[in-house]
Amino acid sequence: MEALKPRLLWLQSITCNGNTHSFLNHPDLFSILSHFELVYHPVLESSCMLHEVLARKAPCDILILEGAFSEQGMVKEGVEILDVALYYANVAEHIVTAGTCATFGGIFKGYDPDAISGFAFDEERQTARFERFSPKLISLPGCPIHPKWLSYVLMMIVQGRSIPLDAMCRPQELYNITVHTGCSRNEYFEWKVDTKGFGLKEGCLFYELGCQGPYTRGSCNKILWNDTSSKTVVGTPCFGCTEPTFPKAVLFETKTHMGIPASMPLGVPRRAYLTATGVAKSFKIKRFEERIITYED
Amino acid sequence: MKIEKLIEKIEGEASLDFSFEAGVVSDVRIRFGLYRGIEQILEKKAPRDALVITPRVCGICNHAHLMAAVKAIESGYRASGIDVTLSPKADAIREFTLACELIQNHVKWLYMTVIPHFESLTGKRSQENHALKASYISTTITKALAIFAGQWPHSSYAVPGGVTCDPTYVDVMQATALVEEAIRFFEQMMVGMPLEAYLGIDSVSQLHSIQGDVGRLMQRLGEAGMAEKGHSHDRFIVFGEGMGFVSGKATATTVSSVDVRYVEESNQEDSTAKAVSYKQKQFETGPLARAIIAKNPLIKSLHKRYKDSLLTRVFARTHEVGLLLHRAKEALVHLDVTQPSCMLESKLLSTDFEGVGTVEAARGSLIHRSVVKSGRIAHYDIIVPTQWNLSHGNASEKGVAVRAMIGSASIEEASFIFRSFDVCSVCTMQ
Repeated sequence: MEALKPRLLWLQSITCNGNTHSFLNHPDLFSILSHFELVYHPVLESSCMLHEVLARKAPCDILILEGAFSEQGMVKEGVEILDVALYYANVAEHIVTAGTCATFGGIFKGYDPDAISGFAFDEERQTARFERFSPKLISLPGCPIHPKWLSYVLMMIVQGRSIPLDAMCRPQELYNITVHTGCSRNEYFEWKVDTKGFGLKEGCLFYELGCQGPYTRGSCNKILWNDTSSKTVVGTPCFGCTEPTFPKAVLFETKTHMGIPASMPLGVPRRAYLTATGVAKSFKIKRFEERIITYED
Repeated sequence: MKIEKLIEKIEGEASLDFSFEAGVVSDVRIRFGLYRGIEQILEKKAPRDALVITPRVCGICNHAHLMAAVKAIESGYRASGIDVTLSPKADAIREFTLACELIQNHVKWLYMTVIPHFESLTGKRSQENHALKASYISTTITKALAIFAGQWPHSSYAVPGGVTCDPTYVDVMQATALVEEAIRFFEQMMVGMPLEAYLGIDSVSQLHSIQGDVGRLMQRLGEAGMAEKGHSHDRFIVFGEGMGFVSGKATATTVSSVDVRYVEESNQEDSTAKAVSYKQKQFETGPLARAIIAKNPLIKSLHKRYKDSLLTRVFARTHEVGLLLHRAKEALVHLDVTQPSCMLESKLLSTDFEGVGTVEAARGSLIHRSVVKSGRIAHYDIIVPTQWNLSHGNASEKGVAVRAMIGSASIEEASFIFRSFDVCSVCTMQ
């Protein structure tokens, strides 16, 4: 007889559906889902209807939360979604906050910053729910969530593996590196060569164009997006969308103090950065001043 | 008699209050949930932050929001005297990635909304995993998109003056292979014939030659009388251009030009969604509107026979997949990577402007208006396609989807007609 599958319930609060659609782009989606009983999902067919979920009649072993939470006013069918989330959070063995909204509050927090937050965190701060649920909480921030980050965590749960987490319950294997790790522009960062504008494969986006990759946790450049690329690879700055501070303001410009980026690479002391920069900048390396590819006219 | 029904899995949910008279639907009130305040969130932000914030309006049409946002800035730049010219390459790449988003949307809608709900309506549920097909083609075509845009959902790679990417021919070949894979899916699973032959069909009399999932669906919709159901005002509007679409409005057989200045938004009682009209009239937006205004021969022929019925509406959307796949492939064939990707400097070029960006999103015309004062967004306005199709209407006429549902014999049938508009609840609650 087939072993009982963990029952997966995907509950949405204040969201854009971006995490739902990101996960639908998983190339092995239905192989992953075959390990679970899908109790509820926002777009896929599932064993329960939404009214059953809202009436607290659905079973739940793994609760996936998508979207930010409001203390009151986020109502479906007359039921406060936060109350529904709390009910299933109590029942579930694992709670996964999928995306930055569910984890920290994200974009939608901006509309009513006092009332809207993530499930267990309000930006960096723990909410009252953190203490209650932290032993079964896994935070997967990202706007949206990377489909593979979610699938790997779900499969680790199925296989009963322990998942090393950081203080904010993020899996270390996914979030203890930065978006900068694996970026195709790394040589330009090493030698402090700025890009000359948008639309070029040459140059680093950290100095002028607002790239937050060196101090943003996430494996976007290790586990690529859509199995193929990432923001920084295509010349778009990283906007720090996995961080509790997302979204910051003036995203296409680097905030500087006396010409030096105001935010340092993760864990790097300012003095160390300035020393390394001074050395790197004292050399002019021809290869980094040229175009990588020359096409004949 | 009044009955309330929660419609779920439509990019969020909507509550429909059905009124019945003499056994048929006589009126419907459509209510959406919590307003998320994206327009307010944008106030006081830097103008280009809209390129990051507005895609988060919607998980399924985020790329269209990016395009509307960048066009709003470019239109504002132009109004303040800045020359904004895109290279043919940047233009083609933007068109390509937006076409990819429309394709993923339409195919998901076909396999995850229309086919399963039609099976339920007719009581003939199959054991097939339709969503697997949706996921396969969505994964394939958004991968092609991401080669240029970095990721999907929520890319911000379109910037004033062009795009941030600088693709090589190796990238173009990779994208071409993925588009060809999507074309193969369209040919072998959706219509059962080569794309070229499919695009040669120009009259309803040849419709029976279409096979595959689309052919089977059309046949069954016809058998279920869906060519006689779902009629609305038979009035269409399109604001965006590109990808073979042209702007204009159509009433009966007359096509004329449009101007966004005549678009009016108004608050609606008991709904968080604003209604929208053009010179106080209700218009349908989306693939059917696009095909009618661009004078697509096959859709014109189908429309001539069945008007704006559910069958016409559904087919117009699946048909657009074929048109867009063809455009997408062509865009890559002619792409010259040696042209510049972005023609403007990377800094903000004007601190005071008003701009409007219009784009054809999967569900129809999307409009962004940005008012910038002293380098900050003073006011931002987003009008989404679902507002056109799902408003309640005004004193003189019912909204588009409401009118289409009136006369339905059951809630199930009316809900199916509702879903045929490809409803996006999250966009509507922006």
